Amino acid sequence: MSGSAMKKKVLLMGKSGSGKTSMRSIIFANYIARDTRRLGATIDVEHSHVRFLGNLVLNLWDCGGQDTFMENYFTSQRDNIFRNVEVLIYVFDVESRELEKDMHYYQSCLEAILQNSPDAKVFCLVHKMDLVQEDQRDLIFKEREEDLKRLSRPLACTCFRTSIWDETLYKAWSSIVYQLIPNVQQLETNLRNFAQIIEADEVLLFERATFLVISHYQCKEQRDAHRFEKISNIIKQFKLSCSKLAASFQSMEVRNSNFAAFIDVFTSNTYVMVIMSDPSIPSAATLINIRNARKHFEKLERVDGPKHSLHMRMR
Amino acid sequence: MEDDSRPLLASEQTGECSLRGSTDSLDIKVKRPFHVEPRNIVADDPQERVSAEAAILNSRVHYYSKLTGSSDRLLSPPNHVIPRPEEIYIYSPLGTAFKVTSSDQSSKNPSIITIFAIWNTMMGTSILSIPWGIKQAGFTMGILILIFTGLLLLYCCYIVLKSPKSIPYIDTSDWEFPDVCRYYFGKFGQWSSLFFSMVSLIGAMVVYWVLMSNFLFNSGQFIYSTISVLYLITLVTYKAFRLGFHLEFHWFDHTQFFVPEFRLQFPQLTGVLTLAFFIHNCIITLMKSNKNQENNVRDLSVAYLLVGLTYLYVGVLIFSAFPSPPLTKECIEPNFLDNFPSSDVMVFVARAFLLFQMITVYPLLGYLVRVQVMSQFFGNNYPSFFHVLLLNVFIVGAGVLTAMFYPNIGSIIRFSGATCGLALVFIFPALVHMISLHRQGTLTWPSAVFHSFLILLGMANLLAQFFM
Repeated sequence: MSGSAMKKKVLLMGKSGSGKTSMRSIIFANYIARDTRRLGATIDVEHSHVRFLGNLVLNLWDCGGQDTFMENYFTSQRDNIFRNVEVLIYVFDVESRELEKDMHYYQSCLEAILQNSPDAKVFCLVHKMDLVQEDQRDLIFKEREEDLKRLSRPLACTCFRTSIWDETLYKAWSSIVYQLIPNVQQLETNLRNFAQIIEADEVLLFERATFLVISHYQCKEQRDAHRFEKISNIIKQFKLSCSKLAASFQSMEVRNSNFAAFIDVFTSNTYVMVIMSDPSIPSAATLINIRNARKHFEKLERVDGPKHSLHMRMR
Repeated sequence: MEDDSRPLLASEQTGECSLRGSTDSLDIKVKRPFHVEPRNIVADDPQERVSAEAAILNSRVHYYSKLTGSSDRLLSPPNHVIPRPEEIYIYSPLGTAFKVTSSDQSSKNPSIITIFAIWNTMMGTSILSIPWGIKQAGFTMGILILIFTGLLLLYCCYIVLKSPKSIPYIDTSDWEFPDVCRYYFGKFGQWSSLFFSMVSLIGAMVVYWVLMSNFLFNSGQFIYSTISVLYLITLVTYKAFRLGFHLEFHWFDHTQFFVPEFRLQFPQLTGVLTLAFFIHNCIITLMKSNKNQENNVRDLSVAYLLVGLTYLYVGVLIFSAFPSPPLTKECIEPNFLDNFPSSDVMVFVARAFLLFQMITVYPLLGYLVRVQVMSQFFGNNYPSFFHVLLLNVFIVGAGVLTAMFYPNIGSIIRFSGATCGLALVFIFPALVHMISLHRQGTLTWPSAVFHSFLILLGMANLLAQFFM
């Protein structure tokens, strides 16, 4: 993606204590130092310095519920904050007792978005859903979703219900990432072709910074519905360990008598994971296939890239 | 010292073998990572596997724990997210996995067992003094007081049971009532609740010694306390059946053979009943093993009802069956078994049951006293032989002296009952309840007045023991 002079932003906003820092830490595998769980609100924006989806920078803001000092700061910095925003992710705490106030702050953020970045995509996360009783979750979420959609007009917002203690957080962020990738359908079609050509059991495409699954192809039913999140957790843990040694994770091969799995850098924004259940195919063959596919997919990522078809396979 | 330089793993090769890493062998079977075969999971069902939810939660917990410091609880799984203990396995490095037993080792009992345990614990030697107490208060008044005091102490027990739950932010799951008192009243609360608890325990031990020195017997069997109570009830029924009823109602005046229905010495009965219905220092612990915790109040009320009915039954029957002409009701002894001749076989057997109950419970009470006193004063349950010897000499000495000079168990029971009841039944529970309501902002005037009145009742109860 050709970048403009200013970096495009992903704004992660919400009331103080709604779970943004934890969410960011989990999704982006950032260590939370004890001090950051502070007693007061975030005094300044927390930059994530993460290359998310290529050239997006994550900004984390506490919105609302602060004293007048913060109010003034927020108001005076408003245009700065809301300029060049690609994505607004607003987090609501489902247990909040000040719904009116929360909605009010949300609306003022939307106004600022309309003024400064009218093309931004808006996502609302109703968070901490594990604190709601299971049989009431759907009801409560539907209620909130209706209110939020109504309040957000003319902007369109997509709502998700999330909790860090089940798969909803991972799925919500995966959906968000999915919607942010241009020509994602084309990517999926090509991925399917690639998988079929190299006779893989399953091929996954991960976002590079967060290991959120963007797209996947599987040729038969798999038993474990949570496998994407598990892989993501394992790799993020490994990345954390690597970073302690100032090393960075590049690729991995896991093999036993039943299967071989390859995780490798794919394009500038993605990682690929290929799973082959035919152990007779040597690793080198699959790795060459992945390398060739890489060139093809990188061209796809560039909006005006030419189309190639893969016709190479080695036995 | 030279042993230190030898490699820990025995091998045929020279020292360089210890430097060969795991990259050496390409044989996958040897280099298997840590793996547990499902059949090695030790449980009732050998086919059991890890559930999908547990596996993914495990993955999350592992990952989240890397994101914060080890002592930081920000990303710790909350209780409602953790699976039930039956679904948790502990993996041993040796390759087997064990199921976690319930973290609190106490088994969960159905309501009927809990009710029975409370009935059993509450039913003490005070049952022997109930007929005397009814006599002291007057027949009608005695019955009314028994019912009223039972209800009152049930309410106080209910607020004791509730008290740990209204303490915010702290895990009070293993707290007893003295811990609650320490939370609200600091050191003073801790020491005073200990003191009053000791009053009830040492009072009980003194009573036991007096009774044991009265029941002399030797046999060789251990009898559960329930059986002695059931036997007493049977005995009482039989005697009442044999003797018939002898009741005449004289409302306020004394006659030769009967006592008035309403008497001024009724506080003696309330003193006895305060100890008879006393369970406030261990009700929290007893209720913890109740399977359905939401039924606690109901079960407690049923237990109190059963205890009250038992006392009422024994008291009313003995009083009514006491052969009033030729004897006067005033003759009813504080230990009603003393009213029967020592040649009476059934009563002899009752004494035997009670004697053995007491012989077995006496050391247990002594243990409770020693543990609580020693750990409070010296921080150690068993500071030294001489400390414990001194304590035991003191307790037994008190029992012996009382048996020699003042073996009136009715008085011992009513004084110790009123004293420990003052603190542990009336004052502390009412104060704790009022303070917790006040902190939540829900203390209403009627409630404050009622609970203050409870405190006054407790104080009046104790004072009246001295004057009536």
